[in-house]
Amino acid sequence: MTTKTQDVTVTVNGAARTLACAGTTTLLTVLRDDLLLTGAKRGCNQGVCGACTVLIDGRPMRSCLTLAANLDGAEVTTVEGLAPRGELTRVQESLLKQNAVQCGFCTSGMVMVAHDLLQRSPDPDVEEVRDALSGNLCRCSGYRALVDAVIDAATGGAA
Amino acid sequence: MSVEIPFGAVGANVAKLESAEKLTGAAQYIADLSRPNMLHAAIVQSDVAHARILGYDLTAALAVPGVSAILTGADFPDGRMGAFIKDEHAIAKDKIRYFGEPVAVVAAEDEETARAAAKLVVVDYEELPAILSPEAGLAPDAAIIHEELESYLKVFPAICDGNMASYTELSEGDIEAGFAEADVIVEGEFETAPQAHLAIEPVGALAEIDSQGRITLWSANQSVFRVQANVCESLNLPMSKLRCLTPRIGGGFGNKMEPHIQPLVVRLTQVTGRPVKLILNREEDFECVRARHPFKIRCRTGAKKDGTLVAREMDVLLDCGAFGDDSPGVLGYSLLMSRGPYRIPNVKCHGKLVYTNKIRFGAYRGFGNPQVSFAAEQQLDEIAAKLGMDPLDLREKNLLQPGDAWFGGGKVASNGLADCIAAARKASDWDSRTARPAPKGKRRGTGVALGAHISGLLGTGAIVRVLEDGSIALNTGAVDIGQGSDTVLVQMCAEALKVPVEKISLASPDTDGSPYNWGTTASRVTYTTGRAVVGASKEVEKQLKDHAAQMLECAVGDLELRPGGMVGVTGSDKEVSFHQISLRAHWGAGGPIVGHHTLVFDQPTVDPKRAIAKGLPFPQIGVYSFICTVVDTLTDEVSGKTEVDEVWTGVDVGKAINPSLVIGQMDGGFVQGMGFALCEEMVWDGPKLANPTLLDYKVPTTLDAPYRMHTTIVDAPEPDGPFGAKGAGEIGLVPVPAAIANAIASAIGNRLHSLPMKPEKVFRAMTEHDDAA
Amino acid sequence: MMAATFHKPATVDDAVRVLTDAGEGGRPISGGATLVAMMNAKLVEPDVLVSLSAIAELKDFGRAPDGTVRIGAMRRHRETAFESDLAGGQAVVAKAASQIANPPVRNMGTIGGSISFADPAADYPPALVAADATIEIAGPDGRRFVPAEEFFLGWYETAVEPGEIVTAVLLPPAPDRAVGHYEKLCRVAGDFALASVALVLALDGAGTVTHLRLAVGGCGGGPVRCPEAEALVVGAVPSAERIAALAERLVEDLDPVDDSRGSAEYRLQIVPRLIAKAFEEALTEMEPAR
Repeated sequence: MTTKTQDVTVTVNGAARTLACAGTTTLLTVLRDDLLLTGAKRGCNQGVCGACTVLIDGRPMRSCLTLAANLDGAEVTTVEGLAPRGELTRVQESLLKQNAVQCGFCTSGMVMVAHDLLQRSPDPDVEEVRDALSGNLCRCSGYRALVDAVIDAATGGAA
Repeated sequence: MSVEIPFGAVGANVAKLESAEKLTGAAQYIADLSRPNMLHAAIVQSDVAHARILGYDLTAALAVPGVSAILTGADFPDGRMGAFIKDEHAIAKDKIRYFGEPVAVVAAEDEETARAAAKLVVVDYEELPAILSPEAGLAPDAAIIHEELESYLKVFPAICDGNMASYTELSEGDIEAGFAEADVIVEGEFETAPQAHLAIEPVGALAEIDSQGRITLWSANQSVFRVQANVCESLNLPMSKLRCLTPRIGGGFGNKMEPHIQPLVVRLTQVTGRPVKLILNREEDFECVRARHPFKIRCRTGAKKDGTLVAREMDVLLDCGAFGDDSPGVLGYSLLMSRGPYRIPNVKCHGKLVYTNKIRFGAYRGFGNPQVSFAAEQQLDEIAAKLGMDPLDLREKNLLQPGDAWFGGGKVASNGLADCIAAARKASDWDSRTARPAPKGKRRGTGVALGAHISGLLGTGAIVRVLEDGSIALNTGAVDIGQGSDTVLVQMCAEALKVPVEKISLASPDTDGSPYNWGTTASRVTYTTGRAVVGASKEVEKQLKDHAAQMLECAVGDLELRPGGMVGVTGSDKEVSFHQISLRAHWGAGGPIVGHHTLVFDQPTVDPKRAIAKGLPFPQIGVYSFICTVVDTLTDEVSGKTEVDEVWTGVDVGKAINPSLVIGQMDGGFVQGMGFALCEEMVWDGPKLANPTLLDYKVPTTLDAPYRMHTTIVDAPEPDGPFGAKGAGEIGLVPVPAAIANAIASAIGNRLHSLPMKPEKVFRAMTEHDDAA
Repeated sequence: MMAATFHKPATVDDAVRVLTDAGEGGRPISGGATLVAMMNAKLVEPDVLVSLSAIAELKDFGRAPDGTVRIGAMRRHRETAFESDLAGGQAVVAKAASQIANPPVRNMGTIGGSISFADPAADYPPALVAADATIEIAGPDGRRFVPAEEFFLGWYETAVEPGEIVTAVLLPPAPDRAVGHYEKLCRVAGDFALASVALVLALDGAGTVTHLRLAVGGCGGGPVRCPEAEALVVGAVPSAERIAALAERLVEDLDPVDDSRGSAEYRLQIVPRLIAKAFEEALTEMEPAR
């Protein structure tokens, strides 16, 4: 069994990383096993649960459905790279304050889609938020608190 | 009754202690852990449902480079584990009992290699007839799934026979006389479907052996102590040889309470001498862990003309699956819940639990209660309709009153149900429900269901230590599976000692260092472990005051705890800090301050003077929380697809230690219950689960869950609860399928008796009704 | 373990060449939303992966002077869903795109990848049939054009031969004032369709149907269109009775199966109602213009 790998250079959380990737290796595997960035989770490995969602070239995508070999020159942002160490983004802060986080396994993915939404639509309404989070399954929260926390982050806690 | 909370740590919406690490990706779950020189494992699953194992051919699999070991049933000790009936080996030995059962396990240098080798393992079977329903299991000539059932160790007086794993009966009053008094009787059959837990984190475990042969085991679990017991029972290992730890847990819902693959990695580390990690993929997690019990229910309820309920009879048939697991408990508990929170003087309930060649069914949020409530709460609406009464009025008329005992005679000390109803009635504007318009093409329905659920059971403990600098270390052994018990327990300790939450550290559960905790199950941590935390804190307070009395030269009775970690003389500014006291204790006199408290829940479930119980597995069960849930649903006239538009809940959890977390339990329980009620369905193709993927098994998303969910928390302090608290973990789910069923019935004029109430079932019921009208 | 060589050619010709050389073990990869999921589940184990990500022409969207729209195979579902130039009858394709899976998957998945996989419960197939789309396919012998109706051969089978790739989807201009609508029934948001109906409809000033193409998804191996059924409505005012007659005729051509989404029987019951709903929605959308 030969392992054919190729070098791919990807910018991960602002730092260029050159990775030796087999053709079938997913970004999720590279992040978790090679770069030890374990924030993105493997919940289904089929792109449904959303726990592995990261930003690729500024858009939330499934790292489990993304081949690392295809990412030469791409920019990847994971949950670890959203805020400087010891700090939280506004949406992270809001999720924390509102106790919208339960088990936390979906949280990384939720944070990524919520972050992306607020970048594009600084003042979303409830329906926009529900739609933006609709590809990320949470089995604990029933979603309401997550939606409220995102709205709150957008309004800076004024709502 | 009111509860004094002078410090304010209890009752506050304290942000969960570990949220920041979860929000930044730093939290470590089982799949995130690794050890030097670690092997990765993969399971081999059976592709038959019922068979004798004739032999294994491992040649091809062992030849794969990088494979370290392959273990089959032949390599495992013959110990058996099980919460109620010890009927389960660590891995299939001699026999296969369900399709997908682990039959071998491979350890290799990486997961990919282990999975590839696992595909090459060949098992030779002699197939036996597969029993795929409880009815088939009870047939006189049915193949027997557990030939040695009679000889298995059981932890309760089980009544079993053939494939029947357990028979349970509970009755009060005189059922014949009760129905004889009834003016209206409704009778029906109900069926509930299996539901997958679907914690977003699949199960996994990592074991490492040391040079003395002692093993450390990390795993996704709801109780490090149950992990320890199960692994040791199945592997014939002394408990002192196994240390169990827990990383962060990505949701449980019952799935991670009893064992999954922990014994496999322990055996592998014993054999290979290397750390071994095994993480199931989503399909395996669906196929070989556990799921919610399907129930078949015959229910009969009688009432007088004025709406007074007089009799209830219920007969339940449970599919146990291949192993007992928590099933006898689910059967017994469902019967205990069959009367609901009502005064019904004559009740007779019985049920059978039958082994089948399916995945084991086990504990799942609600523990049999949502199933029987689905039947019973619909029958109340049917009676109300027959009598021309308002469904909520009928319920209120028959409500279990403060001071009334539970079915069977167990004591109910606090009961805030009437306030729950009042809250939900008002919030939902119940009386004007029929005036609410429906959007074009939809039919609006409004439904209600009540519920009660215990919190309690078994043993628990807490240790509170005062560190040298006066800060506090709390250790309970309770696993926080995401619901927030770590935060709640710290809040209670903070309140008891009047120190800020930040001054308290909480130890991660560890069988070496934590006091025993049966587990995060039965909605019990806040109530039972909370009692232990308060007890241990009181012990610390006593020791602090003993020191302070000597330091301040006063009587202990003159001392008080003051906010911020001080002990002072009442009415004076003389005080010493915990820091000063602890330095004295550590270095001068008395010894370091350690408070501990343990307890086992000890109120009897059944009063033998009132009730007859046979085969009931819980001699002591718990205290009762209460709920009233009102839902508005919208049913699509084109397809029958039903969505929940809005929800109003009144809930009595005694005293909410952290209201935002209680609301989180209500929201989450509702949506999980809504999935159970409307869209989640495990589909079998013969013995094989046909949809073990998230592409095919669908759970509600943000767009399917109602955004408008309103919870009112009602205070009804439990006298022996910590600060009056009772459990909140399961009750939010309990009334949901029934409330939605009642809402759908009000919308379409026809009633559904089976779950899930997926579009096609609602469609048929709706068109049947429309065609008839 | 799994060894696959990875290629990222810059032109369609190079992609076709590598794929042709690879033979049966070769697979083109566009967004990855389907193929990688199948690779993860070990349902496919390609030897050679040919990424289409670096081929500029596949990412283009354009409109020819005659009104024909060309959607490059690598256009993401998000782009197609928000494509403001897909109006009137062609909007049926944008509406279908907007209902595929969920936002992150729509950021990844491509129209070429989706239709090449040809899940009969997917959203594009009926929409493309209703829009009378043509699929542009590149192979060793150059480009060829296959009408959508002949592209989907049933149950994950398409007209694409080994060594070929889908390069674009062409949408002819719909008649003036045509409306496209996509009606989908699914268990939860983002699921594949239990059943779906795509239609493109145009009326004249008198309210008579001048153009109708209607296709049903999720009820057999591929999208089902029935010109004979359409003929029952074309040239007439689309009354409830005529629409019901259309549906009754069309249902005869459906061949659904029982699966975890629902029973065949239910699908047959529900399709006429979805058709009626689709007409209702389309007619409502037309109202301001009429």
